[in-house]
Amino acid sequence: MTEINEQKVTGDFSMYFGPAHPGSGNFSIKCEMRGERVLKATADPGYLHRGFEKLMEYREPMQNAVLSDRVCVLEPLQWNLVHAEAVDYLMEYEVPERAKYIRVILAELSRIQSHFIWYAAMSLGTGFMTGFNIAIGYRDYILDVLNLITGGRVYPAGYICPGGVRKDLPEKAENKILELLPKIDYMRKFALKQNPAWLARFKEIGTLTKEEAIKFGAVGPILRGCGVESDVRRDDPYEIYDELEFDVPVMDDGDAYARFTVGMQEIEESMKIITQSIDRLPKGEVKTPNLKPRVQFQKAEGEIYIRNELSRGEGAFYMVATGQKTPYRVKIRGPSFTHMIPIIEHLLTDVAYADVPAIYWSMYQCPADVDR
Amino acid sequence: MKLGIVIEVVKNVFTKPMTVLFPFEKIEIPERNRGEHEFNIDTCISCGACARICPNLAIEMVEVPSELREKYPKTYPQVDLGKCCFCALCEDTCPKESIKLTTNFYFATFDKDDTILYPVKAE
Repeated sequence: MTEINEQKVTGDFSMYFGPAHPGSGNFSIKCEMRGERVLKATADPGYLHRGFEKLMEYREPMQNAVLSDRVCVLEPLQWNLVHAEAVDYLMEYEVPERAKYIRVILAELSRIQSHFIWYAAMSLGTGFMTGFNIAIGYRDYILDVLNLITGGRVYPAGYICPGGVRKDLPEKAENKILELLPKIDYMRKFALKQNPAWLARFKEIGTLTKEEAIKFGAVGPILRGCGVESDVRRDDPYEIYDELEFDVPVMDDGDAYARFTVGMQEIEESMKIITQSIDRLPKGEVKTPNLKPRVQFQKAEGEIYIRNELSRGEGAFYMVATGQKTPYRVKIRGPSFTHMIPIIEHLLTDVAYADVPAIYWSMYQCPADVDR
Repeated sequence: MKLGIVIEVVKNVFTKPMTVLFPFEKIEIPERNRGEHEFNIDTCISCGACARICPNLAIEMVEVPSELREKYPKTYPQVDLGKCCFCALCEDTCPKESIKLTTNFYFATFDKDDTILYPVKAE
């Protein structure tokens, strides 16, 4: 006979991590608690849903380029690039060589500033305010250069547009970017210092095995932190990545510290890519000849799935054109979705509540691209 | 390790601060910064390209006040800065370079009417 245990444990309760928590972003996790331990966690997304896929069906490609910034606030130039590549394919645009180099330089700068935010968010989540302030300060140097080139500090407003880039690099922009590299390197070394407090908070916390990472569909630094060498820039090169030399950092531990270290090592590779691109930057046009400000799909028909390596992993656009002015269907694949729903629920099982922010931020999430 | 901290502190004493004393000092804004619109009604040909490309429908083609209608008989763009996302597509699409985005980004206001940029104001 089945015994029904009706005895209630007074230490059992449920607690929300976010969305009002200062370190959660626009995301929430419902934690089933027993005392200080989290028994089960349920992700609760949807606080930042803006319906981009539907909005893009009502806008022309150049207007969508502006909209694509907003998919993820922290890596707008890279989302610009994925969108532009999808339209380039459907419209059969030949992108000039100089534009391809500028696209790659800006995408890598965007990756670096996004990784700085990762360090800042991990510091903030674990009460290390100094790290947060320094990372945000150094990110500002990059934002200044982005402002110089694109006209906006955070949002480039579709600078990487279908057919190339909207404007050529301003005078001395190459020098400004090269002057930036020592500052980036200083910040990278600072972040990688073997700080005992940092190690205590992140080492052997939130460990994800290689098999689990593949099963749940992890991408980007999260997958590489589990020992899988996977990078779209190398596996399925786009723009000029096949001509550049760079390594793909991998770590086998699979814990929060390994994921973070992979991210910081990627900054060094991004710096290599930027240096090589600036050295080889050709002269010439930056837009497809006769590119009009209004791009319409009236002569385009077909469908395309384009994937790129964003800061957080593999991001992609699926776009269908049926000869109308606007795309018939747009589907966006954000890298954070798999990290934030199945993986975070798996990792937050039987852990201390104090480790929740550390695991949460080590997933390098962006609620904006989970909800889209 | 401890000496490293001392060196860092001494270095920071002599380093230039990252911030400035706003509003007495201001950081130089790059020329490309997308701020408030500057509109030249005399060169505008009223084609409406800016209104058609605006992703946020922030530009509306309107008639000028009645006392100026003899001089400017057509419709001209009126920008609602409250709706504008400062993408500068209007600047790119204008065939006569009549609309430009300036470096001015000081928009804070208590009056909603201040956010409307009229093509021309009645004297």
